[in-house]
Amino acid sequence: MAMILSEKIQLYAVTLLKGAGYTISITVLTFCFAIVIGLVFGAIKAYGDRRGGAPKNFTTELVIFVIQRLALWSINIFVEVFRGLPALAVLFILYFGLAYAGLKLDPFTAAVFGLSLIGGAMLTEVFRAGFGAIHAGQREAALAVGMTPMGALRDIILPQTWRVTLPPLANYAIGLLKDTAIVSAIAAPEIMFFARNLVTRTFDTEIIYILVAIIYFCLSFPLARLADRFEKQARQM
Amino acid sequence: MIEFLAVYNQNWHSWWPQIHSAIYVTLGLTVCSYILAVAVGMVVALGRMSNSKTLQWISKAYVEFTRGVPTLVILFLIYFGLPGLGIVLDAFWAGVIGLGFSMGGYIAEVFRSGFQAIHSGQREAALAVGMTPLKSFLNIMLPLAVRIVLPPMLNMLILLLKDSSLCALITTPELMLTAKDIASMSFLPMHLYLLVGVIYLALSLPMSFIARLVEARMWRGMRNI
Repeated sequence: MAMILSEKIQLYAVTLLKGAGYTISITVLTFCFAIVIGLVFGAIKAYGDRRGGAPKNFTTELVIFVIQRLALWSINIFVEVFRGLPALAVLFILYFGLAYAGLKLDPFTAAVFGLSLIGGAMLTEVFRAGFGAIHAGQREAALAVGMTPMGALRDIILPQTWRVTLPPLANYAIGLLKDTAIVSAIAAPEIMFFARNLVTRTFDTEIIYILVAIIYFCLSFPLARLADRFEKQARQM
Repeated sequence: MIEFLAVYNQNWHSWWPQIHSAIYVTLGLTVCSYILAVAVGMVVALGRMSNSKTLQWISKAYVEFTRGVPTLVILFLIYFGLPGLGIVLDAFWAGVIGLGFSMGGYIAEVFRSGFQAIHSGQREAALAVGMTPLKSFLNIMLPLAVRIVLPPMLNMLILLLKDSSLCALITTPELMLTAKDIASMSFLPMHLYLLVGVIYLALSLPMSFIARLVEARMWRGMRNI
């Protein structure tokens, strides 16, 4: 058992880096899902209360109005709930709670699912702010030249929102990468999970957690530089 | 649905005392770590704005460290790692220190951006009329910075409240750990975690409401400074 320090570090690093692969895949998957949720809900929050075209008969108008209100309310509730809940609580509800209710998710799925909901709530606000920053005339002009609402959103509005949304998106990616450490609590495989297993086997607590800190730092440092660059660009524009 | 709620009715008397004290632990964690984070953030922000290159470098490195390393890792290093160096902290204070230091980096950035948003002429004018640097900082810069800094600072408090749940993993007896304990004894995870979720919401929603009010109020009748 008498291993020299460098051998130990090498041994631990191999295991932890395997965990880093999982961490990256959880981060990337969650990031994609959160962006989809954020984009859809953000667009609904920003544009959900208007509608083009001439008014139709009373019943149709009423139905559209009710659907719009319901959508906006449920999105607002979704955002408030998932911004107010700790990630750990969401993960525990999804993993232990749903298992009790009869739906057994595997830890990886539960982790991606839970983090996506939390991230989606956050990005909804980010994208709403992004859409809000675009002058209403842009959309009106696009609709006036005959673009569909979806086409206007995709080709006119969205490209212009990146200036506002890219910095918070990059910061979200960093926060997400760090938040994945939490999913070790529901035994999803990632760096922290592998680290805790290593610690219980070897008791080399300090070395392992310092290695973990270094790995996380190395993963998030490029993202942080990217975020800084986006912020600088956004300020210049 | 009725059956689901009936379980709460049945077990409330046995659950409430534990959860009640756990709420206080969570609030204690939040408040103590917030005070520490503000103190750390202030010092680091001053370091970043100082003229000394070394101080600037150290505080920059600190901010980068807290930005890049998960809070959970910092908590584990403090609670499980430090005993190896002969420093044993109890779970509560390890949690306070870990949360405080990891949030300190963010608060430092909030302070720094707050002070940078103030036109440099304010400080120069204060110095020109004969104020000492300290006096110009306390009497001129600080009051101006407060309104820029206050809304994000309140958001940090909400973040800390949520992050305090991480201390469950280093066995601080706060809400999340208490829920986990009761859940594993009673085999009612869904009830307990939903209950805890509702409690967290009940604590954080008023805070975010106040944060929004303050934000709206701060900028009332405000020109660019």
